[in-house]
Amino acid sequence: MVGLPYDLVANPLGAVRLTFEKAVAASGFEPDSMDWAPVDLFRQFLFDQGNLSQVPILNGETIRWLRPKTLVRFRGMIQDMLGNEFYVGAYKDGSVWRTNKFTDVSQFPIADSSADMRVWERRLLYCVPVPGQNSWTEPASELVLNRCMDFTSQQREKRRRVDDEGIDHMDMLVSDDGVQGSPSTKKMKEDEQPSVSSQNHESITESNCPNMSIVPGIDKDSLPCLVKIYDSPESDLKLNDVFEFIGVLTLDSELQADKDHDELSNGFIEDALEHLPPNKVPRLHCLIHKKLAASDLLNCSPVMESKPNLVKEIRDSLLRHLTAVLGNDGLAAHLMLLHLLSRVHARVDNVAVGKLSLNLTCLSKESASLFGGQLTHAFRNLLPFTHSIPLTVEYLNSVSLAPKKDYETDRLITGVLQLAEGSHLIIDETKLEAGTLNSVGVENARLLKNLTELQKVEYDFKYYKMEMAADVQLLIFSEGKSNILPADIVIPYQPSSVGSSEVVAGQALEAWRWYLASVKSLPHSIDSEMQKVLENDLVASRQADRSIGSHDFNRWLTMGRLMSASFGETCLSLEHWQMVMELERLRRERLK
Amino acid sequence: MASDSSPANFVNGASSPDDSNSSPIGNTFSSPGDAARRRSRRRSTTPSAYTTPPPPPPHQSRFAASDANPALTPTPSSRRGRGRRAPSTTPIATTPSSTDDAAASSEGGDGYDADDARPTFVWGTNISVEDVNEAIYRFLKHFRESSSVSEDDGLLMEGKYETAIKRVLEVEGDSLDVDAQDVFGYDPDLYTKMVRYPLEVLAIFDIVLMNMVGRINPLFERHIQTRIFNLKSSTSMRNLNPSDIERMVSLKGMIIRCSSIIPEIREALFRCLVCGYYSDPVVINRGQITEPRVCLKEECQARNSMTLVHNRCRFTDKQIVRLQETPDEIPEGGTPHTVSLLMHDKLVDAGKPGDRIEVTGIYRAMTVRVGPTQRTVKSLFKTYIDCLHMKKSDKSRMVADDHMDIENPPSRTEDIPFDEEKVEQLKELSKLPDIYDRLTRSLAPNIWELDDVKKGLLCQLFGGNALKLPSGASFRGDINILLVGDPGTSKSQLLQYIHKLSPRGIYTSGRGSSAVGLTAYVTKDPETGETVLESGALVLSDRGICCIDEFDKMSENARSMLHEVMEQQTVSIAKAGIIASLNARTSVLACANPSGSRYNPRLSVIDNIHLPPTLLSRFDLIYLILDKADEQTDRRLAKHIVSLHFENPESAEQDVLDLSTLIAYLSYARRHIHPELSDEAAEELTRGYVEMRRRGNFPGSSKKVITATPRQIESLIRLSEALARIRFSELVEKRDVMEAFRLLEVAMQQSATDHATGTIDMDLITTGVSASERMRRESLLSAIRNIVMEKMQLGGPSMRLLELLDELKRQSSGGEIHLNDVRNAVSTLASEGFVAAHGDSMKRI
Repeated sequence: MVGLPYDLVANPLGAVRLTFEKAVAASGFEPDSMDWAPVDLFRQFLFDQGNLSQVPILNGETIRWLRPKTLVRFRGMIQDMLGNEFYVGAYKDGSVWRTNKFTDVSQFPIADSSADMRVWERRLLYCVPVPGQNSWTEPASELVLNRCMDFTSQQREKRRRVDDEGIDHMDMLVSDDGVQGSPSTKKMKEDEQPSVSSQNHESITESNCPNMSIVPGIDKDSLPCLVKIYDSPESDLKLNDVFEFIGVLTLDSELQADKDHDELSNGFIEDALEHLPPNKVPRLHCLIHKKLAASDLLNCSPVMESKPNLVKEIRDSLLRHLTAVLGNDGLAAHLMLLHLLSRVHARVDNVAVGKLSLNLTCLSKESASLFGGQLTHAFRNLLPFTHSIPLTVEYLNSVSLAPKKDYETDRLITGVLQLAEGSHLIIDETKLEAGTLNSVGVENARLLKNLTELQKVEYDFKYYKMEMAADVQLLIFSEGKSNILPADIVIPYQPSSVGSSEVVAGQALEAWRWYLASVKSLPHSIDSEMQKVLENDLVASRQADRSIGSHDFNRWLTMGRLMSASFGETCLSLEHWQMVMELERLRRERLK
Repeated sequence: MASDSSPANFVNGASSPDDSNSSPIGNTFSSPGDAARRRSRRRSTTPSAYTTPPPPPPHQSRFAASDANPALTPTPSSRRGRGRRAPSTTPIATTPSSTDDAAASSEGGDGYDADDARPTFVWGTNISVEDVNEAIYRFLKHFRESSSVSEDDGLLMEGKYETAIKRVLEVEGDSLDVDAQDVFGYDPDLYTKMVRYPLEVLAIFDIVLMNMVGRINPLFERHIQTRIFNLKSSTSMRNLNPSDIERMVSLKGMIIRCSSIIPEIREALFRCLVCGYYSDPVVINRGQITEPRVCLKEECQARNSMTLVHNRCRFTDKQIVRLQETPDEIPEGGTPHTVSLLMHDKLVDAGKPGDRIEVTGIYRAMTVRVGPTQRTVKSLFKTYIDCLHMKKSDKSRMVADDHMDIENPPSRTEDIPFDEEKVEQLKELSKLPDIYDRLTRSLAPNIWELDDVKKGLLCQLFGGNALKLPSGASFRGDINILLVGDPGTSKSQLLQYIHKLSPRGIYTSGRGSSAVGLTAYVTKDPETGETVLESGALVLSDRGICCIDEFDKMSENARSMLHEVMEQQTVSIAKAGIIASLNARTSVLACANPSGSRYNPRLSVIDNIHLPPTLLSRFDLIYLILDKADEQTDRRLAKHIVSLHFENPESAEQDVLDLSTLIAYLSYARRHIHPELSDEAAEELTRGYVEMRRRGNFPGSSKKVITATPRQIESLIRLSEALARIRFSELVEKRDVMEAFRLLEVAMQQSATDHATGTIDMDLITTGVSASERMRRESLLSAIRNIVMEKMQLGGPSMRLLELLDELKRQSSGGEIHLNDVRNAVSTLASEGFVAAHGDSMKRI
């Protein structure tokens, strides 16, 4: 941090301002379309200098003590997009250009004349913690807390030195209070700053009484966040993507306070923001956003080279673990491993290539709950995002699986099937009994079927439906072959022992997580010679059995791909292909 | 007032000749407040503001320019040049250095008065008021549609908008619709200005309009508003950005919410509580009404005594409507954007939630105040569109109002949905020699094989020409197709694809749909108790394609409804006192599974799919999609799937048209191409048909096989017309006819081939029994008759059918004989009174 006049973590806006002023000075004020790139500064600081871990994570826990206008990280799924917001990006205060980028309120009154003002736009994204996120993916937060305390004191010192023009006055006051919480200071500050009091006040109360706090409505486990995105192409951020946003936290309440009786608001139609009071939904002005891949979620990724040997070892141990959990059903464990590695890697019109849903049949209600429970537990430790749905008639008839647009609030109301890419979903059909489905139930059954067949979920926009691509691994438990959820692989489950609930060493778990995450994202190819072999095999098997169709071909090829990937290889070899055919033969035998 | 001004203000450069005369600082003067007042006046409907022709926007540059008559001889090129420069401006000079806030109205008179030579500029712009005034006047006065100008008496006719104004006066309307395309065609410069500075230009527009109205009918008191529509380019809601603020934009979208109607005060009347004196109407000013503090009556002058008299105030309707992007504009992985619309007066309640509309309006932004009391504004803006014009657009994917029907000849002046560039592109495409194959490839590219089926479907999409003879007989132009095939041969996928592509496509499954669901049904409106006719799938897909999946699973009843639809193209309803005939000019694309799970090649089509021959014959093309045990096909399937998994799927399909181009191509062809048969083609048709018929007559054979019926020749005409349409050709050529024959033959070979002989036999389709089958039955009958005559005595012991079968097999050397056939033959004999059949045995009588 040497050489930086501002502490980027505690006072990011200072840096924003400084770079802006510099850029204005350099370009001879033409802040029209200017992007003066403070982002590069942050990028350099966080990634090149490796300071990312210093940035505290924003969640239901940390929100209690995080101070506004500091740099925070937020990991979440984009649940809804609230459109664009126009704001005064740059304006003239006297003869000096100021910027409002990365803030909600301007420090200085904005002149009325439009000549002294530039309007810019930013995107609003409503983000929620990823549904079904397992606890192991979350970084520990105590560390951050301590560090943050340190920062504050550091910052205070620094501030005394750099306090220029009183710009950062507010931040400092707030931060002071945040730490000391002394009532006397509070009073004093309030007297000093009556004009900007609302915001000030809010922060003070927050920091003073953390227990009854700012955020009574916040569920500790799921803190939503309104992320404001600057200068980023639209295609970068898609619905249901999981992102890490690094930006400036604001918790201002002024949005809530404004009950202005202007032309539009007395009409009813107000933006969705009104339903997202800032004291429940913090705002994050995003400086840097980064899409999280599965491997990014690993807490401490073991530095493992994908040496074939190592991968093979991990594969074997994971397979052993799965076999144990599945009550010594080796075939099921093999297929399960492939299933866990599957992902949609291409879409050709209606075909989602690469999905491999698994249907374990021959399960009774009891065994399903026994093995299901074990599997669920095992997956929770292995996969980042897991879910399970017990399928009953009442459930189908009542639950809203698909997200729905609520035009009253102009928000997308989430549904069970709004899942992040790569989520794992267990559906237990053994609980389903005969009964009547109402229209909701029929619709839900259709949605589930579409999800299994096409990996698509229809979002209900009232006047029309919109299909959204999904990538969800589906595991189905059922007594017979499930017809509601036509899975790719159907296998009668034959456990020979009650699954053991062995305690798994943390290190092994970590290795497995790493394995699943990294192997899954391997690229894949196939040489032309092998292609010939495949074609011949397919043709031969079809000549032998007319009932084999394109569906089976698709499944085999997917399995072949996953099989070679599971060995950490990127090219399909004959050996792996034969393993697939052998698995398939065993499976068919079992089906008879 | 920040929101009221354009973000990028304009300063004219020195490059244009008439500007060089004026001040280098910029000749743009007037106060911002004044500009705002003018704006609010435009919206107001106060008669007083308009009955006396109001002055043109008031200010004159005090730098009296010496160019004498800029307005009368505008130089469009330089104007346009300036318009283009508009966005790139520097902010300094725009600060108005002068606020010439003179009592504006003192400078009355017409803007185009030649004496008033000094140009007036709208503040912050380079718009010369006189210029614009004049341009608008000329436009309204002289604009004629190009078609009428070409005629001889064109000049004698009144201009389009003069006529329109008169009509508005006659009906006492309150708005004049102006087509922006007309403006552009007449004066591109004016158009540019109007889009760039809509507030200013529209204010002038209204003034000019009122002047003209005043001349036509001085007594006309209402204010007429100009409503602009049909801008040259419409913006996508997603692309609205800060630079669009204060510009005229045109958007498409769907209404999702409407507020209740808000009465907005325009003119207030106050009464003194002390003396009862009524004030003069107070007009709204900048969104506010100032209450008089003192009673204006000289005798009274009571303070704070004035009270608002509600029922003598004037209100206008206002409504806020939320518009959402249409689904097709949403990029992958995005949610739809919305925007608020502000509707006034006539536009209120013009659209309901769910309607798809196209609006033209001014994009505006408004600052958000921190609190009602605080002066500081927040840095946020709320944006909305001040609506000028709204048009409901139809809901179809493709332009559905095509003119396959001759009742509605295409009219020239209707809105043109294709811009010229696109049309050029399409025409270019149509000239490609392999366009037919290319289109075939582009149709459901992920379904490999089935090329001939795809070609048939392509013909269905393009369609033939409907014909109505003066005698009243009509011939449909729609092509009906039936796909029969084994499960898992991607029939449904084809159907889905066509459904996606076709105009007003309706997709239903035969299993779930009832007869009424397909045609129409009568319901009682729960509120009013009125009986309402609700259309079913077939009526809804009028002029489209109705895709019916699982056709075989449909109930007999429902299928019978199709008879009428497929030939007469109407649906007749006689229910609950309503007798109606609804148009259902729809092509039917149906697919069916064979009655067993797989197609049994030993049986005829009729036996394979339990469809009545009467219905079957109404399909132009019947394709059998069989899963043949053919190694070649299997290999292609394998290759296809392998490449699906291991190759970049994008690179695999190179020269296919994307969906949007395909749709554009289709709709253009359906709309604009109406091919007719050439003599050569007609000859070929006759020749081919005769030949087809002749093929049924084998020399020396007694059996008569019908290989073609008049229905086929109709189908052939439709197909060849569709094929010509694919090439964008107005003439059906010989090759089209030949291809049509080929298509028909391919389809017939699959479906109407008699498997016993390998020849095409239309009897299969029309009666369900092939000629050779009939002959076989007859020979069997006579064989049995012989056996009975030989072996059995009258009244003797009965003979079991199995014995008879053995005997028959011994006698006839080849040819399999089934017990079933024997049983049928015996029952025929029994009906002749020759034998008596009891269960499995028979007796000679």
